[in-house]
Amino acid sequence: MYFGTSLVQFSIRRPKLITTAMIVITFFLALLTILPSFWPKTFPFLNPLIVDTDPENMLPEDEFVRVFHDQMKREMNLYDMVVLGIVNESHPDGVFNTESLHKIYELTEYAKTLHWTSKEDSNAQVGIVTRDIIAPSTVDNIEQGGLGVVKFEWLMPKPPKSRQESIAIREKLLRLPFMKGTMLSEDGRALCLYLPLTSKDLSYRVSSELQKKIASFKGEERYFITGLPVAEDTFGVEMFKQMAISAPVAMLIIFALMMFFFRKFIVVLSPLIVAMVSVICTMGILIATGNTVHIMSSMIPIFIMPIAVLDAIHIGSEFFDRYQETRNRQETISNVMDDLFMPLLYTSLTTAAGFSSLALTPIPPVQTFGIFVAFGVMIAWFLTVVFIPAYFMLIREETLETFGAVHKNGDPVSHFPLSRFLNWLGKVTYNHAKMIIVATILLVLVAAYGITRITINDNPTKWFAHSHPIRIADKVLNEHFGGTYMAYLSLETKGGIISPDAYALSLSKRIEESLRGYQDTIQGITPVFEELQNEALRSAKTVPSKEGLLHQLTSFAESRMDKSQFEYMEAWEEALLFLDQERQRDQIFKRPEILSYIEELQTHLLSTRTVGKSNSLADIVKTVHRELLLGDPTQYKIPNSSNAVAQCLMTYQSSHRPQDLWHFVTPDFKKTVLWVQLKSGDNKEMSKVTKAIDTYIAANPPPFPLVHNWFGLTYINITWQNKMVSGMLKAFLGSFLVVLLLMTILFRSSSWGLLSMVPLTITIGLIYGAIGLIGKDYDMPVAILSSLSLGLSVDYAIHFLSRSRKLYERYGSWADSYAPVFKEPARAISRNAIVVGLGFLPLLLAPLVPYRTVGTFIAAILFAAGVASLMILPSLITLLEDWLFPKTQLCSFMCNCTTCIITAVATVLLIVINIQQFFSVGWTSITWISIVAIIVLTGTCGLFTISKRCRV
Amino acid sequence: MTAKNILRILLFILMSVLTISFSSLGWSEKMTAKTSSDKTPSIEDIVNRANRVAYYQENDGQAKVTMSIIDSQGRKRYRRFTILRRNDDTEDKRFGNQKFYVYFHRPADVNKMVFLVWKNIDKDDDRWLYLPALDLVKRIAASDKRTSFVGSHFFYEDVSGRIINEDKHELVKTTENYYVLKNTPIKSELVEFSYYYMWIHRQTFLPIKAEYYDKNGEKYRVYEALKVEDIQGLKTVTKSRMKDLRSSEETIIEYMNVKYNIGLSEDIFTERYLRRAPAKYLR
Repeated sequence: MYFGTSLVQFSIRRPKLITTAMIVITFFLALLTILPSFWPKTFPFLNPLIVDTDPENMLPEDEFVRVFHDQMKREMNLYDMVVLGIVNESHPDGVFNTESLHKIYELTEYAKTLHWTSKEDSNAQVGIVTRDIIAPSTVDNIEQGGLGVVKFEWLMPKPPKSRQESIAIREKLLRLPFMKGTMLSEDGRALCLYLPLTSKDLSYRVSSELQKKIASFKGEERYFITGLPVAEDTFGVEMFKQMAISAPVAMLIIFALMMFFFRKFIVVLSPLIVAMVSVICTMGILIATGNTVHIMSSMIPIFIMPIAVLDAIHIGSEFFDRYQETRNRQETISNVMDDLFMPLLYTSLTTAAGFSSLALTPIPPVQTFGIFVAFGVMIAWFLTVVFIPAYFMLIREETLETFGAVHKNGDPVSHFPLSRFLNWLGKVTYNHAKMIIVATILLVLVAAYGITRITINDNPTKWFAHSHPIRIADKVLNEHFGGTYMAYLSLETKGGIISPDAYALSLSKRIEESLRGYQDTIQGITPVFEELQNEALRSAKTVPSKEGLLHQLTSFAESRMDKSQFEYMEAWEEALLFLDQERQRDQIFKRPEILSYIEELQTHLLSTRTVGKSNSLADIVKTVHRELLLGDPTQYKIPNSSNAVAQCLMTYQSSHRPQDLWHFVTPDFKKTVLWVQLKSGDNKEMSKVTKAIDTYIAANPPPFPLVHNWFGLTYINITWQNKMVSGMLKAFLGSFLVVLLLMTILFRSSSWGLLSMVPLTITIGLIYGAIGLIGKDYDMPVAILSSLSLGLSVDYAIHFLSRSRKLYERYGSWADSYAPVFKEPARAISRNAIVVGLGFLPLLLAPLVPYRTVGTFIAAILFAAGVASLMILPSLITLLEDWLFPKTQLCSFMCNCTTCIITAVATVLLIVINIQQFFSVGWTSITWISIVAIIVLTGTCGLFTISKRCRV
Repeated sequence: MTAKNILRILLFILMSVLTISFSSLGWSEKMTAKTSSDKTPSIEDIVNRANRVAYYQENDGQAKVTMSIIDSQGRKRYRRFTILRRNDDTEDKRFGNQKFYVYFHRPADVNKMVFLVWKNIDKDDDRWLYLPALDLVKRIAASDKRTSFVGSHFFYEDVSGRIINEDKHELVKTTENYYVLKNTPIKSELVEFSYYYMWIHRQTFLPIKAEYYDKNGEKYRVYEALKVEDIQGLKTVTKSRMKDLRSSEETIIEYMNVKYNIGLSEDIFTERYLRRAPAKYLR
């Protein structure tokens, strides 16, 4: 306490110095970020503000799913897409009328121009990938061209001129399994253009440009832009508008409420200054250290503000209640700070501990968020204890003349019903303690049930309010189509590696077999194949792999053919053909049985109901096969040999878009990708689909061993969500233990430590129980809030208990102490809960859902924690008075064996959670280590307990 | 005049004489030969001669082709086929209809696949496809000749030759070695380009380079002859490349065992021969 007192005394003596230093530091930090953000060229050595709205960054860059996603996108030339839907509900032919199709054509042509020279590389183009646009005017149609003729042509080379032509386009599209449910809705009312982007962070720009073009159209069509990239990118743009609106509005409301309670502008201003300065300093340091402002970190100000205000309000409230007692600023503030220094330190430490525990999650933006909020909380604490006293000293005495509650008989007279209510509440808790506890237990049981019903789910599209164009587009388009959320399922051969030697032996056998098949029909075939066989066995020793051997043999055969006489040429040509057949033996995705398996997988995908449509290599093969065979619907099937498959595909590639094939399979036919269209971007739906496929593949093994993996933005989201949930649980456990430890140390007693954990445990239980009961998804903001609620709700307990103990010491019994406890301390707590809780309600007006969630939850947490602290704690104290206030001499906390053991266990668990997080050691070894540690620590506790110091 | 230039002219005259001796319309060759070395020939002349040397050399021809398709990731795919070409016995064999027979050797799974094309000057081509694995002969409508030739970056039209009167030709520039032509399609809705430039070698009249521009005036496709060989006295492009600038992909075609005037009979270019390939011409 010496340190605390001298710190406070210093600020009381040197208020101007403190204030100036604070202003200078704040300006310096603000400049540090403003300068490079506005004039990046002048200040290249400073870090500018970098916004990052990519949920992908929820995962570290080297995370498997991200690496795989990028690799597969490159390998399959896939891009993230903007989906532009055009719906015509009023025309009898839907969008298939001349005007609508004309507009669609025009939009496509316009989309083709939406690419720009890259800022980084003047040779590269960024924007829409023109050649991969999926639109009526950019895709091919395959159909019967009359009497046994098959026809490949542009589906809509130019906008149709008549109704007949328009309808014909619809009929053509409906015949293409690829397009039905992807490009056109089955009812013909809607059509989707798929616009691939070189990079998804261009989607806002692209969609804005499209909006401009759309605005120039007249008519009955409605236009919708959707797709995860747009949602994510738009979120980033709106996030900033949001930050600029919500934070100040919250500030304003807090200010108004404080004015209501304290009525003195000059006094009310101080918590706001503390909040502002804490936010500026924290964000300044965040940006200056080169961290990006992610969706998470954009919420830092909203989290720091209530906490910063909270501490300052405690001082303000006490000062308000006591000032008129002495009318001496210095004396009042010294007294107030004496009482509050420790509670303030501990409330801040616990809050900081709660947030810094987020560093335990495996999600980088959440780690940054946690650490910086913790940091901001400590800045706020420091400012509260240093600047607030200084600030009060700077206020002129005359100004405070009328400030504070008027005292009558040594007690401040209440102007507000609040005081009367609290008085009454105190009595209730004392007289009906048992009832309150029973009611609490009942509530907790209900909450526990609620918690079991929590669904873990997130969906970046749902970050927007229902009325937002992105949400509307999402709804409308997914009603019409197979789904606008793309996920990709990749299948890959799991070939065992064969040594070149072993391969050469089997190859040599096949050469002999093949040679027998020719029966000398080709001149020189025997010597040529024998030469090839010898070469195979010889060079097997020198090449590293089977592929190397085939390559080597091919070069050999080619050079022999070039040199050979004319009569051996055909034989060498046959040898080369044989080698090529060998090479193609591994091209398993040309095999009919594998393609049929893919077909079955697709049927199974549809049965999940989440998947509205899927496209695969099998669909291409089947469509081409059907059209080659007179368009007969019964021929919509996979032909019965891999050669036939290859020949269908060669036919398919003789189109305007041969590259389309390579979006589905690699040219070596060892990897294939299914395009899966989901109707919902909900993570739980995606999880359902992945589970369905896992189960299916396990129950129905493919004809050849395959490795299956998912990628695509919709899938990436579930990966970070899973990490978040388990990470948050660990983080929460960690911070719970830290707070318990801190409480045990603060109160020098495990019983008090445990008692102080009661309100927060109940608050969190109730909040999450409510989430489960009302069916709100457990998403990113909800997950983060567990740490906030932990940090905030313990604050009230600390204040309540530390003041109760002090007053108990003075009055000697709870019966005499509870009434004073329900005066100043209870008032401070309730004012706090009201001011900060209401202050965050304006976030409910935000168009972005995560902000609404945060607003609602901060309010709910604060109210619940306030109520829990003011009702459950006094009831418990009433019931457990003898246990909490032992009549024997209080000794050092080390001597209390239980305290010691609980501390030890908490410490060990804490360390275990940390170690487990970072070294991912299995639980078993860790468990053993911790058991040993607990025994050792318990022994140490025992030693301390029986040591001389403890014998009083 | 340098010795090199004199040599070139001599070579050219020699070539022309050789050509004339095989040609049924020798007089027109002779006329051009006389004027071309120092005086710029007319635009029609340039276009006609270029068309002739690129696609109509002699009565017929045969070549074994290796096609390498290289994508932006550097992955290569090969096609190996034999191409047979015969000019129809019309009055003017140098401008008229032609027939092409394309037989696939490899990849192994498309072995024996055949494309048969009857290139028609004044109507749509006739195209057949034989798919041995399905034992299927299929007629393919060929209203659009600007589709990929077997998945490569060459179009059908690049292989068989774009009919010259489908474009309006302008001579935009004459450089030391080339006539640079700008070709604008007459029916622009049928093609994906809005114009293309062509570099025609002044002595051989071989088109050495072509650059295609899209509707926004962006260059997106480039053809280049990489190797020219003397075959039976005729300058022949034996290696060429088509680059797709948008995707940074390309296809390289190499012609081997090129032969002219091998005496291909017309009946080879009929449906009957799709299932029963003329083995002796395919080696």
